[in-house]
Amino acid sequence: MSQSPIFAHDLVRVFGSGDAAVRAVDGVDLDVSAGEIFGFLGPNGAGKSTTVRMLTTLLRPTSGTARVAGYDVVTDADAVRRSIGVALQDAAIDPLMTGRELLRLQATLYSIPRTDGERRSGELLERVGLSAAADRRVGTYSGGMRRRLDLALALIGEPSVLFLDEPTTGLDPMSRISLWEEIRRLNADGTTVLLTTQYLEEADQLADRVAIIDHGRIVREGQPDDLKAEVGAPTLFIDVETSLVGTATSVLGTFGELRPTAEGTLGVGLHDGVGAVSAVVRALDEAGVAVSHLEVRAPSLDDVFAEATGYRLEGADADGAPR
Amino acid sequence: MSTLAQTRAMSQRSVLALVRQPALVIPSAVFPLFFAALGTSSFSRAVNIPGFPEVDSFLDFALAGAIVQGILFGSITSATALATDIETGFFDRLLAAPTQRTAILIGRLAGAMAYGFAQTLFFVAVLVPFGLRITTGAVGLMLMAIGGLLTALAVGALMSTMALRTGSSEAVQGSFPLLFVLLFFSSAFFPRETMSGAYRRIADWNPVSYLVEGFRSLTIGDVNATSIAQVVALPAALAVVTMTGALAALAARTRRG
Amino acid sequence: MSSTIAPAWGLAMRSLRNIRRLPSAFVPALMMPLVQVIAFSGTFAGITMVQGFPTDRSVNWYLPLAVTMGSSFAGLGTGFAMIRDLQSGFYDRLRMSPAGRRSLLLGPFIAAWARALIAVVLVLIVGVTLGARPTSWVAIPSLIAVGLGTATLGTGWGIGLAYRFGDMRAAAIMQLTLFLGLFLTDAQTPVDVMRGWLVPVATVNPLSRVLALARQGFIDDGASWATTIWGLITLIAVSTATGMFAMAGLRHLDD
Repeated sequence: MSQSPIFAHDLVRVFGSGDAAVRAVDGVDLDVSAGEIFGFLGPNGAGKSTTVRMLTTLLRPTSGTARVAGYDVVTDADAVRRSIGVALQDAAIDPLMTGRELLRLQATLYSIPRTDGERRSGELLERVGLSAAADRRVGTYSGGMRRRLDLALALIGEPSVLFLDEPTTGLDPMSRISLWEEIRRLNADGTTVLLTTQYLEEADQLADRVAIIDHGRIVREGQPDDLKAEVGAPTLFIDVETSLVGTATSVLGTFGELRPTAEGTLGVGLHDGVGAVSAVVRALDEAGVAVSHLEVRAPSLDDVFAEATGYRLEGADADGAPR
Repeated sequence: MSTLAQTRAMSQRSVLALVRQPALVIPSAVFPLFFAALGTSSFSRAVNIPGFPEVDSFLDFALAGAIVQGILFGSITSATALATDIETGFFDRLLAAPTQRTAILIGRLAGAMAYGFAQTLFFVAVLVPFGLRITTGAVGLMLMAIGGLLTALAVGALMSTMALRTGSSEAVQGSFPLLFVLLFFSSAFFPRETMSGAYRRIADWNPVSYLVEGFRSLTIGDVNATSIAQVVALPAALAVVTMTGALAALAARTRRG
Repeated sequence: MSSTIAPAWGLAMRSLRNIRRLPSAFVPALMMPLVQVIAFSGTFAGITMVQGFPTDRSVNWYLPLAVTMGSSFAGLGTGFAMIRDLQSGFYDRLRMSPAGRRSLLLGPFIAAWARALIAVVLVLIVGVTLGARPTSWVAIPSLIAVGLGTATLGTGWGIGLAYRFGDMRAAAIMQLTLFLGLFLTDAQTPVDVMRGWLVPVATVNPLSRVLALARQGFIDDGASWATTIWGLITLIAVSTATGMFAMAGLRHLDD
């Protein structure tokens, strides 16, 4: 168990003190398997970034233990740093430097000899498609280019464990897909990846296993398909006139448990499966409720999340694709 | 709203801003007094060197430089606030409202003038317990306060021109070293008579020298035509020039929109 | 050993490159000591006429002050850069790398030393042009020692404060404290020439020893073993204290 690339037990981080104390991470357990892509899914403020900062030695845990690449993050921090690559949320780069200079600096910080460093920088720049822009100041790069450089910087030390904190937030769909492919390639080479995201689609597509984190705690964990199967019943979404919401709610309630939805929509988990839709429509019709929009969806991570936390994940629209 | 009422409202705003953020006031209030105190101790025996005017203590000599220094640095605070207004877009909102263009500028400068007047009196009040003596008494003091007001207007208008033309608070703050140099290459801190060579010539040409010497002659000399001219007429004349420039810059900016 | 030097050198090179690329920070910092030596020697030229003044050229007295201020503020400059790196998140990247904490600290010091040496050379050139004449061969070694020493204490103080506050408050504090520290001394006139409250303050202030070391090759009968030793001890002691302050700040960044 201690040889898991990422292991944490009862990890806690408190900010502030006394009455103003905030438990940003409230007892997180992790056991990521080697070669896995592990997804950490949750809204802003859930504790994802704080957990990553503890695992990458930037922040000291208030209590609990964590071991990355087999080394304790507090007592063996240097060894942890040698084994990991990290791309944080804000792609912190120095706008005055060029891409190549940043990679060279990073190589120096990893004590990579000069010629090896040059070669690896060139390879990585090629790999992330920044060779042409390598000698321009990073301040001139677009958001997508900065993320790609961030990834290259994370890879310079050939890490066995890669941490990606919201790697595609703010990117256009093309860049997002391209980054997903790159992550899959890295994983195929054997790199263990822990990625945090607020996008259900991303977790669903990439992660071998997902942990849903809310208010500093993990509320669900497992393979995406298993989690969806646990939810079981498909969700029926309808839009009705505001004055009829009460009536509609009591009708729907007879077909299964009500599920949290976005504003202006009602949702119910169909206990008897998709076939029950016609019965629902008939019942609503008999109750005098006119339906303006109707949709049925198989269980998705969105539903898993809603069921675990009681609300829908922000930043996603109805079918889980990022806004 | 009449122009006068608008002007009053703008002035109130700029004065309140100073009152609410005392930290802004420190460079222009505390530093000059600190330098005066430092100089009085360091240069106490320098008052006897040839070329040094007759004084009882270096403090009497230093007051004038402290006043002008305070006004120069204070003008940066005010101009920075104006530049910040432009940067944040508040300035555009003022233009969009039925505000008289000039009221915006005069209001801000009115605040500066009040500050220059008050600061002069404040410096004297603080330094008297430490041995400062003004040979020209209350009359001289009042003339100095008026001089402080006019100097603040002149310098304030100059810095406002810069704020209006650049629209950048960073550029305005960057002028701090330039003002510092202007102040140093004058008789603000030591008599011109003791300087020599090229340095002396620069100090002779620097209008700040004459401004400071006006305040100084009221502190250690008499009220006469020369001192009045230096303390009142000189800053007034400068004010006319810089105000013209400021109004032109204001017009340019409002045209640009 | 090389694993400490190489990353530190890389960080120092970055620091020096960046400051060249940011002219708004670079030029004023470079000009400050030059303007100071000109302005002080020119304005207070007459001070040499006071009886007992240890040199007949004002520039001889003020050149060492300009060097001291220029190099100590070069040290503070690394403090400003540190605030920028902390606020932009770039420093997180550095902290997550396997580079030892010692090399993270050493980098800014190396950069500050380079800047201090540049300041020493430039101020010497300007000063000599204005008529400064050393009175002893120790003039230049003393200036260099003070340049490097004050750059060291300025860096330790500057980045230590940057770590503690993480924002521009640190910049205000570091500038104000260093300025006061250097001026509440015999910076403007020798203690014998002073009168009043500044006398005990300047006598007690350890930075007066540093200025004395800087000056010892430029004033009559200024050079002595005592001056040299006291000046060096002060520089080492204050630098060690500020260096420890900085290291503690770095270690506590993950709190």
